[in-house]
Parts: sequence; structure tokens; C-alpha cells
Amino acid sequence: MRKAVWLVLILALVASVVMVLIPVWLIHPFRRQTPSGIDISFILRRWSPFVTVIIAAGMMAAGFWLWRGTRRWWAKSVLVAFVLFALAPAWAARQNHFEWMFNPLPNAGYVSATQANFIADNDMVLGVEINGEAVAYPVRQMAYHHVVHDSVGGKAIVATY
Amino acid sequence: MWDRTIDGKALNFHLAGINNQNFLMRDEETGSWWQQVTGEAIQGPLKGRKLAAVFCDEVSFAIWRSEQPRSRFLRPDPRVEKNYVTADWESKIARLPVVTRRTGAEDFDSRALMIGLVINGNAKAYPMADLQRQRLILDTVGETPIFLVVGDDQKSVRAFSRIAAGRKREFFVKTDATPFGLIDSETGTTWDFSGRATTGPLAGQQLQRIPTLKDYWFDWRTYHPQTSVFTPGSELHE
Repeated sequence: MRKAVWLVLILALVASVVMVLIPVWLIHPFRRQTPSGIDISFILRRWSPFVTVIIAAGMMAAGFWLWRGTRRWWAKSVLVAFVLFALAPAWAARQNHFEWMFNPLPNAGYVSATQANFIADNDMVLGVEINGEAVAYPVRQMAYHHVVHDSVGGKAIVATY
Repeated sequence: MWDRTIDGKALNFHLAGINNQNFLMRDEETGSWWQQVTGEAIQGPLKGRKLAAVFCDEVSFAIWRSEQPRSRFLRPDPRVEKNYVTADWESKIARLPVVTRRTGAEDFDSRALMIGLVINGNAKAYPMADLQRQRLILDTVGETPIFLVVGDDQKSVRAFSRIAAGRKREFFVKTDATPFGLIDSETGTTWDFSGRATTGPLAGQQLQRIPTLKDYWFDWRTYHPQTSVFTPGSELHE
């Protein structure tokens, strides 16, 4: 029985880690994506925050049960390590590693043309004009942030590049 | 550039992944995934919905500033400014690998820059190299007579309808003129890079802009599989 619980503990940890890593692998840059790969990534990204927590809770319960019958110090250490490892995928499932690479810009700031000394005359901008209000998003900034939310001429827009 | 309101609610987007070198974004409100280049939701509760495109100009700072003196400009984020691409980023990107499959005999490099447009469902791509060589391309896409023109900076491209004052026109680049000017052969009116008639019989008229997208050939072809491509020297059949 104890061996079976140990096995379940190991399998649960592997399942939890794999669930988080598969979408990271499937939708990473410079890899050819297929529609089914996108389907799988979406389902895993959507459900992994819940499933990894349930697995972590189950592992804690199993670890607690095993702890009571464990006397050797090293076996106890391994047990604690396992349960702590279970928290890693639960944490990772809540992270957006794309936003680690490309920081979002939640509070974008703007300046007038005379203060825009960070753009060279020949640098490209994405320009938009709605109801008389004009905004330009320099391409060099957009190629990093990729997504900028704005409201122009009363219309909520998202500049993407 | 997209209108981010769907069913009366503004959505907020985050990067969510890569789909064949075009990024996916997730909206906070429903968790749906959207393809950046098409503005279409491909996963989640809003799957199949499309964001409305907002007309967007990709031009040099000098041109935008002179045409829109009251424009505001996105300021760099000092926390990540050092990570922004450098001025020569286009040549660096051009060396990055491409993963989409090439289909049949193609004359273009996957990372060849194209100016793409879609008129009434007809997609057409114009190689940037041809545009820079010719400066002005007159064409007809579907039934619509159009032209594409490169600005004084040799980088900014705009497309316009060739219908002015109710009639189809032919245009020529005004030689040795700075700033840039176009002349239509019938009336001799001079037109500027914003498509406005500045001097001549049609002065004050405004040509209709046509949305374009500057894109790599592999990306344009992936999302517009039926696209045709402009061939230099192809005769304009009127």
C-alpha cells in the first residue's frame, strides 16, 4: 500500500509537470504549429491552473498520510521535497512566460512630437487617426511590446505588431 | 490595429503564444485566443468572432509628424527600453528561420517584404523591392483601379483608389520634385502623398485610401492562400 501511494505521488507530479510543459513546447517560437497542437495547447493552458492545484492538494494529502508512517529522516526529506515540487507546476500554470520575454505596457505614456526625441525621422510608426485624434506607435517599441491598449477618438483600440 | 470592443465590452489582451510565427493573444475577459494578423478568435468562447480593423498607416516618423502635427506618440518604457529592437532590426529579422511550408514553385524568399491588400475578397501582394524600384504601381484588383506609391523616405507605402471626381485616372510621378508629387494625366492636377489634390483643376479632392499590410511573404501567404502577386512589367489592362 505504501509503495502504491509513493508511485501515485511520482505519477501525479509527472502529470502535473507535463501538463504545464506541453503547451510551452507546442506554441513556442520557430516551431511549426498545427491546428491540433493549438487545440491541445489551449485546453491545457485553460485547465492546468485548476488541475495542477487539485494534484498538489492530493499530493499533500498523500504526503501527510505517508509522513505518519515514515521514521527515517531522509525518507521524510524526500517526502517534503515531493510535496514542495507539486507547488511548482501549480505556480507555473499561472505564469505567462511570453510576458516575461516581452513585458506588457499596461500604463502606456505618450508625448507630443516636439518631445518625441527617441524616434529618428526615418523610423517607422504605426499611425492611427480617429475622429480627429491622432496617435503614432513607433515600430521599434511595438516590435517588443507587441500589444498596446489605447482609446483614440472615443474608440477602444488595440495596437498590435 | 483593431477595435477591441466586442458586444459592447472592451477586451484586454495578453500575449498567449505563437502560431506559425504570428502571435496569439488571449483576452482577460473570456480567455479566448485571437490570431494577431487576422483579428479572429480561434479558440475559446468567442471562437469565430472577428475584431473590426482600424485603419492604420505604416509610415516614417517624419511623414506622420508633418501630416499630423498634433499627434501623440507612444513613449518608451524605461524599464525595458534596452530590449527594444535596434534601428537595423529589419536586416536581423530577415536572417531568422521560417517554419511554414513552401508550396510548389515560388519566386520569393520567405522573408521577402510584401505590401498586401484585400479588395472585395481579392488578395494581392506587391513585393517591396519592386515598389522601391518603380516608386509607383498602377493596377486593377478585382474591378477596383488602384495605385501604390512609395514616399520620399523610400520606405513608406500607401495605396489609393484611382477614382477621382467619379472617373478613373492615370497617375505619374512628378519628376525632380521635392516634396513628392503625383500628376494625373487627364487634368494635370498635382496630388500629394496623403492623396490630396494640392494644385490644378481637381484641387481639394481627396483620393480614397486602401488599407495595406506590410508583411513577410510567408506570413501573407499563410493567411491569404489565394493571393495573387504583382509581377513587374505586367501590362495594365484597362
